[in-house]
Amino acid sequence: MAETLSTQSRVEAAFAPLSPDFARDPYPTYKALRDKGGLHYFEDFDIWLASRFEDVSAIVMDKRMVRSLEDIATSEEIAAIQRAGNWHDMPHHSRFVQFSLLDSDGAVHDRLRKQVFKLFTPAMIAKLRDQIQAYVDRLIDSLADRGQIDFVDDLAAHVPGHIIGRLLGVPDEDCPQLRIWSENIVQFFDVDRSDERKRIAETNTTEFYEYLTALKHERERSPKDDLISVLIEAERAGAMSSDEFISTCMLILMAGHGSTIDVLGSGMHALLRFPEQMARLRRDPALIQTAVQEMFRYESPLPFFHRHCIEEVEIGGRNFARGTKFGLLYGAANRDPKQFENADTFDIGRTPNRHLAFGGGVHFCLGNHLARLDMDIIFSTLLRRFPTIELVDEKPEYKRGLSVRGPKRLQIAIKPT
Amino acid sequence: MPRIVFVDAEGKSTEVQAEEGQSVMSAAVQNGIDAIAAECGGSCACGTCHCYIDGAWADRLPSPDYQEQDMLDCVVNPEERSRLSCQITVSDALDGLVVHLPAGQY
Ligand code: HEM
Ligand code: FES
Repeated sequence: MAETLSTQSRVEAAFAPLSPDFARDPYPTYKALRDKGGLHYFEDFDIWLASRFEDVSAIVMDKRMVRSLEDIATSEEIAAIQRAGNWHDMPHHSRFVQFSLLDSDGAVHDRLRKQVFKLFTPAMIAKLRDQIQAYVDRLIDSLADRGQIDFVDDLAAHVPGHIIGRLLGVPDEDCPQLRIWSENIVQFFDVDRSDERKRIAETNTTEFYEYLTALKHERERSPKDDLISVLIEAERAGAMSSDEFISTCMLILMAGHGSTIDVLGSGMHALLRFPEQMARLRRDPALIQTAVQEMFRYESPLPFFHRHCIEEVEIGGRNFARGTKFGLLYGAANRDPKQFENADTFDIGRTPNRHLAFGGGVHFCLGNHLARLDMDIIFSTLLRRFPTIELVDEKPEYKRGLSVRGPKRLQIAIKPT
Repeated sequence: MPRIVFVDAEGKSTEVQAEEGQSVMSAAVQNGIDAIAAECGGSCACGTCHCYIDGAWADRLPSPDYQEQDMLDCVVNPEERSRLSCQITVSDALDGLVVHLPAGQY
């Protein structure tokens, strides 16, 4: 990095996104970053952090900002970066996880996104409503007598994977296995890039690949009304390669899994922390859609993504060289008082609520309507069936890290009267 | 400054002053027209900035490109006059443009 850094633009030593304090409450740190103005260099990740709504949205909308390294680095440089991050020597992981719709740009990205976008439109997702409702009803029936549950583990964790699995065409009984593969693969994106985690990520990718290949062969023989069958057609028509087929299935199964569980947890926690908002939702159940959007804004479950610039750019009055890496703090932008009135207030009727929890620009979240529908159904059903819902553990512990946000567990009491 | 008239699903009109070069979507968002959700921010990637162009104006706009056309196949209640407001650039030639808003984007 050619820039000389003034102390002003470096993030303070106190910026410790892996610390327990940050996990407890990242918002004072985000506020401090926003208040200092401009972008801040964070050495640990060699990245410039954007925290203000204006800067984050400018970066996601900028066509010179890409996700993949392909246009800005030679294959030797990419290999060196992979070695430095301990991403190398992972043949299946690099074919199916490191390459994806999310991590491609330009024409490849357009082509891949086009194959799947039509299956994730509001109209297509709305067709899943009855299925999701039936599944959630059965799940809640099985928990109703317990009186006390871990909302995360007993309820939230079962829904997203199950529904995405069905959409894709995975038999119900295999969905728990998908969750294990996803988690073992996704965890490797986190801080711990040890050889042990790397081995787990690679073997899980391999098993997942073999499973999807077998399922694909089965569907080739007898197509069904599911996403796998649509993607098989796309491959036959020459619109995607067989590796892209696997990678796209994996991305769809993994992208919205943990994140939906996390925001279900933090959303429930927010309703319990602000009982007047829960009461308001009980009085006016039609507020569920704005309430769900507010849950995404208030505790964005995927608060951190990145971009690279493919040419020199100017942001916030400073020039950045081609190839600079930028960190997008969606969670910080979503609390920016310049964009949101009373930004730290959880207001389930907030309109408009143009938050960035699903990103923006060409990579805007494909699965956002699905995630929103899962949440709509789960919260509406719980509030309808349990007139009393209370927090048992007053201070639930949140996951550590900059890239995720959500409670590990959430003990609640549910009472039918 | 070109004026744009937004007519909501109940028939209520709001006239806004737009800036040349901005999109019809940003003119709407900046002026509190909440019926334009515009969740991707204007990248032709979400389909939530859908609107209908009023009769005579429809032919005076450049036709949608293939990406916009693909996205228009995915919006709620598409019609012949459907457009994505993020893909229409405001110019003086569009002074007085009348844009009808859908009842909802989902
Ligand atoms: C809590 C729920 C979710 C959140 C917070 C979320 C968030 C995001 C964000 C922020 C991005 C853009 C990443 C970037 O800016 O670089 C994204 C992309 C994506 N999401 Fe989601 N997502 C969620 C659920 C889902 C679900 C349920 C699915 C699929 C079923 C999904 C599939 C995708 C895909 C495929 C992309 C890549 C799109 C592209 O690159 O064009 N997401 N998501
Ligand atoms: S704003 Fe997303 S398509 Fe127009």
